[in-house]
Amino acid sequence: MIKIKYIFGIVISIFTVIIILQSCTAQKAMIANKSGAQLWGENCLRCHNTPTPTDFNDEEWKTIGLHMQDRANLTNVEATKIVEFLCSAN
Amino acid sequence: MKKKILFILLSVLSFMFSKAQDSTQKQIQSLQDEISMLKKPLKTHFMIRGFAQFGFDASDDNVNFNMTSFNPVLLWRQGDRFLFETELEMEYMTNQLSVNLGYANASYMITKGLIVKFGKILIPFGSFGEKLHPSWVNKCATMPLGIGHDGLVPMNDIGIEIKGGLQLGSSKLSYALYAVNGPTIKDGTVEPTEAGMLAFDNAIDNNKNKAIGGRIAFLPFQNSSLEIGLSGYYGKPGSSVSPFATDSMSVIRDLNYKTVTALLTAVDISYVKMISEIGGVIDIKGQYTMSEVSKASYINPTDTTRMPYSFNNSSVAYYAQLAYRPAMLENEILKNVELVGRYSVYNTPQSSLWYSNKSQITIGLNYWLTWRTVIKADYQMTTVDNGMSGMTSSSSMTGMSSMGATTSNMILLHLGIGF
Ligand code: HEC
Repeated sequence: MIKIKYIFGIVISIFTVIIILQSCTAQKAMIANKSGAQLWGENCLRCHNTPTPTDFNDEEWKTIGLHMQDRANLTNVEATKIVEFLCSAN
Repeated sequence: MKKKILFILLSVLSFMFSKAQDSTQKQIQSLQDEISMLKKPLKTHFMIRGFAQFGFDASDDNVNFNMTSFNPVLLWRQGDRFLFETELEMEYMTNQLSVNLGYANASYMITKGLIVKFGKILIPFGSFGEKLHPSWVNKCATMPLGIGHDGLVPMNDIGIEIKGGLQLGSSKLSYALYAVNGPTIKDGTVEPTEAGMLAFDNAIDNNKNKAIGGRIAFLPFQNSSLEIGLSGYYGKPGSSVSPFATDSMSVIRDLNYKTVTALLTAVDISYVKMISEIGGVIDIKGQYTMSEVSKASYINPTDTTRMPYSFNNSSVAYYAQLAYRPAMLENEILKNVELVGRYSVYNTPQSSLWYSNKSQITIGLNYWLTWRTVIKADYQMTTVDNGMSGMTSSSSMTGMSSMGATTSNMILLHLGIGF
């Protein structure tokens, strides 16, 4: 069982390194090139049917955006772009 | 004289008119102020959402209307980074309302790829508990075997979690790591037939150590259609004090669970994609969970010799689900129809008093009234094999267990609402 603690230790260290690298590097091309509408179309149907922009108002979308960023482990760029799109099209 | 009267009348009228104009101006101004107030981003925002499910079940010997769940969810956002979320699980069973706290936690986004959560959290073990359990998200009327009440999957607990999603080239990676109160082990003093079973969701821990765990998920395709998750959860469920410390028999007094360890692992998969060739959305979900609790001895109260028994305490549960919805069809009715099939299995340790070998096939037809209101019509076949339990010799079990298998059928007609 000591082994497991080591494995978790290693996993935590790897992730810490990744997080630091991630926040230092510029946003990667792939997601940066996608529009909010496309990211909404690709991500919001993974667990449930996709809501349409008119379902909620801007403030509600911001709250839902934060909630879904947590539930779906969205990257911050994805969440921001999707919320911007939903707020612009409602 | 007439001219004077006319003059006075005119001046009174013009005075009244200018007053009226003044007040209209003021009203317009105050409306404009109100609109700009509403448009201004709020610092805090509060929302009540949630879900419910109720319906009708018909089994071989029973027909029942039931209220499966009513779960209000409260969300409170402060600024752009802070969210408080809470879910109350209300169940109406045996004419009594039971209220459980599903989750209640505060989360704060520290940097772009790092969220910290604290409080009662949904445990990110596998994908079902955290991401798919609400009645309008779960495509079947029931949960897969082994998940939920008396399941082997930890659903929620009190603790701390860090999580986030990161981009790795054209793929994505997500992580969640947590420390929670952890499970307790049922020692058989309260429910003798459940000795050795893990119980999650403990408001007060029975020992000093915390359970730790994590889930890493990889989304290899740039369109996020495929997600593969690996989860691990490790804890010491035993109390440091023996529950039998005062027993008259020394062999029983020695029974102790403080060194018992529990290791749970899971693999989960999700593939969801709108495919134009088949005119709709294909949705594949699955989870394989294993639980390994180190060997310990327990007492069987029905055994007059009171000799402790033990067993290999490993359980397994898995499910695979396939759903298809022809969402791209023109037909207003057909495009809201969804077909779903799920196979799930839950096997508990042979030779334990709670041994059972369960498998279940669920076939469902869903009709989506809105994006989160659904009528679910399911046909469910469950095979349960309880074998003969409580013995230590597993060889004598094997023959017996196949004799005990029973199959029951059920028709469920439920309404799932997300509000
Ligand atoms: C990983 C699965 C998952 C993904 C992906 C996902 N959701 Fe959700 N969503 C959920 C779950 C689970 C709930 C229910 C939360 C609850 O009730 O505890 C939910 C609830 C909601 C709600 C109801 C309000 C709320 O916040 O509870 C809205 C609206 C919503 N999701 C929108 C979205 C949008 C928009 C996207 C795309 C960015 C999205 N979801 C992606 C799982 C997901």
